[in-house]
Amino acid sequence: MRDIALITTASIRNNLGSKVVMALAIAVVLICIVGTVLALCLLLIAPAMEAELPDRTAMEAYLGVVVYAVCLVGLGVNLNAFGFQTMTREKSRGSMAALLATPLKASHIWTAKSLAVFLPGLVLGVVLALIALVAVNYAYFVPTLGFLFTPWIAISSFVALPLIYLSLSLLVHVIGLTGNPATGNVIVQVFLPVFAALIINLVVHGVLDAASWPFTLANLGLAVVIGIIAFLLRTRLTRERIVLSR
Amino acid sequence: MSTAISLENVRKTLGDREVLKGISFTVARGDIFGYLGPNGAGKTTTIRILLGLLEADSGRLDIMGQDISGSEIRRKIGFALDPDGLYDNMTAEENLEFYARIYGLSSAGRRIAEVLRAVGLSNRAKDRVGTYSKGMRQRLALARAMTHDPEVLVLDEPTAGVDPTGQIEVRQIMLDVAHHRDKTVFLSSHNLDEVQRICNRIALIDRGEIRLYGETETLRRGQGGGVVVIETAGEIPQALLDELRGLSQLGLREKKERSLVFSPQEGTEVSDIIGVLTGRGVKIEGAARQEATLEEMYSAILKEVEPI
Repeated sequence: MRDIALITTASIRNNLGSKVVMALAIAVVLICIVGTVLALCLLLIAPAMEAELPDRTAMEAYLGVVVYAVCLVGLGVNLNAFGFQTMTREKSRGSMAALLATPLKASHIWTAKSLAVFLPGLVLGVVLALIALVAVNYAYFVPTLGFLFTPWIAISSFVALPLIYLSLSLLVHVIGLTGNPATGNVIVQVFLPVFAALIINLVVHGVLDAASWPFTLANLGLAVVIGIIAFLLRTRLTRERIVLSR
Repeated sequence: MSTAISLENVRKTLGDREVLKGISFTVARGDIFGYLGPNGAGKTTTIRILLGLLEADSGRLDIMGQDISGSEIRRKIGFALDPDGLYDNMTAEENLEFYARIYGLSSAGRRIAEVLRAVGLSNRAKDRVGTYSKGMRQRLALARAMTHDPEVLVLDEPTAGVDPTGQIEVRQIMLDVAHHRDKTVFLSSHNLDEVQRICNRIALIDRGEIRLYGETETLRRGQGGGVVVIETAGEIPQALLDELRGLSQLGLREKKERSLVFSPQEGTEVSDIIGVLTGRGVKIEGAARQEATLEEMYSAILKEVEPI
């Protein structure tokens, strides 16, 4: 654990030290989030709130989508921006080989590198999602329905979704470290838009309720599936394979 | 003297290419061991095997009497690789602190200050490594290699890109750690002059095989005994040159203006050559035996194995 914490801290410090990349990532996240929140509010919440007696359950579901989407963008854009870049840089500049030449275990390096990319996204996603939760409540619900919030929204957005992205980070890192980081990058780049479109469609069409326990369970299930794949691929993490991979 | 590094018949195939074809050598404790070879000869693969980054297909490898596959032995090895693997967005101090912690040094402030001073980077300790020149990075990589006071230093081109003053300092550090601290330095380098100056033992690898191995001075003396240069007072007539070429024991190699260069056969002394020349009326102004340089040895050996 000490080793993992040590490498994670140093890697985060190094990853975030690039001010240009950081500024760019934050700008992209903010633009995406503001766009997503505005779209969801104007297309879903505003029309529904015009009804004489707005449906509280439907509003909770819509709020769930907003909070979930914000967290998803925060986590997703962060992994998209830093996952590939840091892996490629660490390999080409010899940082990975240098770490592997120390007494550290390859699996600890993998875990730490995955966490180093995941944790800043988690902080960003959760903070922005909380801001969105409060802002949307006060903009639409508080005057008529009161402050809307269900535990399932919190668990789906702040626990299950981060677990999906943690598993995804572990998966793309094991693929990127033992093979070509570009392969891992393709997974990350495809995952975010496909997953976001799927979730929004399922919720908007009433297949899933973003403020319900089945939604939370579906998310946890996905996190477990990705996590198991990453765990199984972990056997590929040998020093030789990492050093010889491009 | 005890053995620091021992390789015995180590083989390694990468893809369909046999990169190391059963190499063997030993490095004694306190040695500065020069590992030479052209690009693609197998130097990097050897270094990677020494550091446990690659596994040998067969053969034996011991460092300080331990198998490299264990993690404990890695604590006894310091390394400076190419590329250096330093973190650009961290300062020199932070880089060293990070590695010190990896090696279990919890409060390494004093040690870090010491190694930074040794490599001449104390005044840039708090600057981000991304702002460093290539030479400064090389020095910092060397400092990182020494931070945990390892028994063996594995250095890949530690003076590449370093300015002449810096090169002298880095060489001095290597000599100091080997001679005064009883550490072993495994130095992979293309800089033959540097290797000749500081390495007491060398190995030359080419196409996965060790072509030359032993103590630097012994090898230099043994490599054809060097050359004998005779300075003459006047021009040598062509007929005499032809006659001298016929005397195979003298081994006349070339004529440079007023000097003759001989590669005498074993048993032929400088005085024998002088005797032959004066006996034929040649006036001699000076004579000197020059031992083979590492560069000459290197070229000669690599020439021998060039495909026809």
